Amino acid sequence: MSNSPDNIVIQVDNVSKTFQTADTDRVGALENISLDIRQGEFVTVVGPSGCGKSTLIKLIAGLVSLSGGRIICQGEEVRGLNTKVGYVPQESKLFPWLTVEQNVAFGLDSKGYSKSERDQRVQHFIQLAGLAGFEKRYPSQLSGGMAKRASIVRALAYDPTVILMDEPFGPLDAQTRMILQDELLKIWEHKRQTIIFVTHDLVEAVALADRVVVMTHRPGKIRDVITVPMTRPRNIFEIHRQPGFDEAHAKLWNIFRHELNLKNGASAAVGN
Amino acid sequence: MSSNGPTPSTNQPAWRRALKIHAIRFFFVGGFFLLWEVASGRWIEAFLISSPSKIWLAFLKVYQSGELTTNTWVTFQEIAIGFPVGALTGIWTGYIFGRSKALADIFEPIIIALYGVPRTALAPLFIVWLGIGIWSKVGVVFILVFFLNFFNTYAGMKQLDQEFVDLARLMGANRWRLSFRVILPAVSPYIITGFKTSIPFSVIGAITGEFIAATEGLGYYIRAAAGVFRTADVFVGIAVLMIIVILMNKVADLIERRVLRWQTQSESVQVQG
Ligand SMILES: Nc1ncnc2c1ncn2[C@@H]1O[C@H](COP(=O)(O)OP(=O)(O)O)[C@@H](O)[C@H]1O
Ligand SMILES: [Mg+2]
Repeated sequence: MSNSPDNIVIQVDNVSKTFQTADTDRVGALENISLDIRQGEFVTVVGPSGCGKSTLIKLIAGLVSLSGGRIICQGEEVRGLNTKVGYVPQESKLFPWLTVEQNVAFGLDSKGYSKSERDQRVQHFIQLAGLAGFEKRYPSQLSGGMAKRASIVRALAYDPTVILMDEPFGPLDAQTRMILQDELLKIWEHKRQTIIFVTHDLVEAVALADRVVVMTHRPGKIRDVITVPMTRPRNIFEIHRQPGFDEAHAKLWNIFRHELNLKNGASAAVGN
Repeated sequence: MSSNGPTPSTNQPAWRRALKIHAIRFFFVGGFFLLWEVASGRWIEAFLISSPSKIWLAFLKVYQSGELTTNTWVTFQEIAIGFPVGALTGIWTGYIFGRSKALADIFEPIIIALYGVPRTALAPLFIVWLGIGIWSKVGVVFILVFFLNFFNTYAGMKQLDQEFVDLARLMGANRWRLSFRVILPAVSPYIITGFKTSIPFSVIGAITGEFIAATEGLGYYIRAAAGVFRTADVFVGIAVLMIIVILMNKVADLIERRVLRWQTQSESVQVQG
């Protein structure tokens, strides 16, 4: 497993992305991003809306093409689709025409697991997501939280090297969100997959992460990377009381406050 | 009745409601036929509207002579060939256009222009091209059915959520799985709509072709009967056409229920946590 140097699974090397929109307009989404992610690390990415967080995720997944730089996943440069990753989008995006079981099995069926291994894994992950008894249900018959859990284990089930999550808990209410964060951490403690998790919630970013990547707007750049010193396992429900939380959160908030001030200054200047 | 029970309108069992609906419908249709029978020859000239009893007698006669069966069989063949071929090629073309931006860019304006042509106006051309036998009618059925299926499928493909496709590909789906496990199911509500809409049009296509030039078929039979004011025979033909459409709809409903099971199941089940 740990055959690459320093256990780096993903290496984002000086990556830029420019979108060519209609006519000659160009939108610079990312500029010279570099980031190394280690095996088993839980990295969160925060930043203002439109700073290129989703674009970064999609570049790592190979869903959009690079304008510059390179991304290396497990020693191989990403060209085209990166099927080593699992992807959890903002909305659950379970396939509504497949049952919960078929959804969780989708990646296994596509990647040629044997029948017995497939069934065993599907059952295991359905249990893990607390969805036992709901195997034959269709996604429209699930609550938002259940659908979210199913969506997460669907991405975990076929054992991708890295799991990319793009604001997966964004649209949920505060309680459900906290419960899911807790469940996600428990599942993760168990398997220790590498996770890159995009969020715009600073508390969530600190609570889950080993490291928080802070991005800035226009152009999308990495402003800072904060290491979260909290021990694991963590108690999501009393995260504020855990040593290390306040310190990391304050650091993060400082950066953001700075950003906001800058922005206000900029808009005032434009006003004149 | 049960003044101390819950409100009957919301709580009566489903079968009672169904029974009521059937009963009312039965009386309505029965009343209509009765009125028709009474009106015929009394208030309205019998040769204009015939009557249910005359139609029944006419039916027995043309059935026994084999005339009805022969003509029905011809029309049935035209639909049985033109409809599935038109539906499948329509769906397939819609799918291909949806998948290939280049194809869509090249052909979309052409197809939209063709769509503007009233397609039944093409029927005489099909007669010229394919003769007065069944193949010209198969052609008309095909073209009507093709476009409806094409447009609905293509509209569905344009609505397709790219994130489903991305997810499936990231999970390692090959082409086949992507098409049959992801894209086609995602678009299936549109496909089913096109498919069902095209059913009556397939019958319209066959009959239109037969009206224009034919020596057999229900359209030919209806036109011939109307030409000599055998109104009862006309109604027999129309009734058979209705039955064909109803049967096709039943089959389509079965297909729909199977294909869209994931949509319909959601209503009856409640959810916890
Ligand atoms: N497909 C695209 N075409 C053109 N511009 C895009 C596209 N995707 C994203 N962008 C632009 O790139 C920038 C970053 O977008 P995104 O990565 O979605 O930001 P975030 O996820 O941080 O909110 C935005 O300005 C957005 O408008
Ligand atoms: Mg985003």
